[in-house]
Amino acid sequence: MMQANATQRIMKAFIAYVLPPAVALTVALLLWEIWVSWRDVSIIVVPPPSAVIERFFEEPAFFWREGGYTLYEATLGLLAGSAFAIALAVLMAHSRLAERTLFPLAIVIKVTPLVAVAPVLVILLGFGTAPKIIVAALLSFFPTLVNAMTGLRDVNPGALQFLRSLHASPWQVFWKLRVPSATPYLFAALKVTYPLALIGAVVAEWFTGDRGLGLVIFVANSNLDTPTLFAAVGVLAITGITINVILSLLERRLLFWHQSTRSVQ
Amino acid sequence: MASSQYHVSLRDLSHVFTDGRQPLRALAAVSLDMPPGQFTSVIGPSGCGKSTLLRITAGLLRPSGGQALIHGRPPQQAQRARDIGFVFQDPALLPWRTVLGNVRLPLEIDSLHRSRPLPDTEELLHIVGLADFRGYYPHQLSGGMQQRAAIARALCFNPSLLLMDEPFGALDEITRSAMRYELLRLWEAQAPSATLAPSGRKTVLFVTHSIAEAITLSDRVIVLSRRPGSLRADIEVELPRPRTQEIERSQPFLDYADHLRDLLTEVPL
Repeated sequence: MMQANATQRIMKAFIAYVLPPAVALTVALLLWEIWVSWRDVSIIVVPPPSAVIERFFEEPAFFWREGGYTLYEATLGLLAGSAFAIALAVLMAHSRLAERTLFPLAIVIKVTPLVAVAPVLVILLGFGTAPKIIVAALLSFFPTLVNAMTGLRDVNPGALQFLRSLHASPWQVFWKLRVPSATPYLFAALKVTYPLALIGAVVAEWFTGDRGLGLVIFVANSNLDTPTLFAAVGVLAITGITINVILSLLERRLLFWHQSTRSVQ
Repeated sequence: MASSQYHVSLRDLSHVFTDGRQPLRALAAVSLDMPPGQFTSVIGPSGCGKSTLLRITAGLLRPSGGQALIHGRPPQQAQRARDIGFVFQDPALLPWRTVLGNVRLPLEIDSLHRSRPLPDTEELLHIVGLADFRGYYPHQLSGGMQQRAAIARALCFNPSLLLMDEPFGALDEITRSAMRYELLRLWEAQAPSATLAPSGRKTVLFVTHSIAEAITLSDRVIVLSRRPGSLRADIEVELPRPRTQEIERSQPFLDYADHLRDLLTEVPL
């Protein structure tokens, strides 16, 4: 009984959540294929999806390996940038002086164009993994900082007063109230920063790459090899989608108590 | 000082909020002495400083003038002894914790249990009628049930002083009335006490907008004037206990209600 219900639930979820976007994607690819052959678009301008898919299946291991490098660099950068942002947010959430002093610096980091920073980082750090991690970290830093700061401050005033009426220490208020209150904000930040970190890693590879999808795209672009270029972009997209799905599932599981995870009705 | 014969003593309390654009005088020279085991309600127009009074009593806010004493000492002493229970209009439960987890929260704040004997949280949930809901999360409960959990949480360390800031203000009328009599049942179940036996009735300071609530529950009703709040009337409610719903139809009750209504509408602008 329970088993049957579970299977039915999974089927229902598949029909509700997986089928519609899959149909939309297939239709889009088909229209693209038809358009390219109908208008006789040159392959060095836009390749037909069939050519891209064919290119991918010639060397799937190659694409996945390069994608793995990019994902690895993006993840390390994301972790570094988020850790730094959260540490700073803790400081700023507790002291307005710290906020006034440090926030302008954070804005400088935010508004500096990545494309301008990347060459400087190559000069500073050479061609290794370090510049990619740093670019990814720089991109994930600001959204995490702002969200963590808001989250740490957005505590239920009654719960805060209740804890204070029991003479709770600031440390206890932090762990029992502020940190859990901030988790929905951190999840929201993560959904923005993970794709940003991927973009950062790709752009850094483009400039300083010895490996990764950014380099694949760069080389393919120089050779007018559009099927390889699009296949690399496709791998990047699939990586981004997978990350988003995992984050959403994790969010539903961990933040079941938060209204954002409940259905609209 | 002889003040320790009172559980709570407020001396010439005044408060001015200075964090706004212009200073806001919330309280003006309020004095009040509460003997142990007394149920006192504070009633007054909106913004008359009722909540401010409660927060000062709990030691959450330092008054601009005067002082609040609990057992003749600053409220921080009572905080440290975990001898204050606070209930707000918003139940303010932690949404990521179950009912039981919320009720046990105070135990984690005083993890060594230095202050008081270990409470029986299961018994507490039973008393407030949530024994079957211990594993539920706040969003799965009705407003009235959430407020019961908040009351159980405030009672966790069996404090001798209970501060309640419009605890039933956000509930619908029917639930609100039911909760009134439940609180009454809880409080009257304990023996009246002139001294501070831990099993005796708690001293309760109860802020409300509702005249019926104030009369039904209280031994004494304090009427505050408009902002800045000052003491307008101090009325002993001499209705027999235990009180039941019948009391709201009795003549003395209606007389008290009329009297209070007059006081509240006469409040000069």
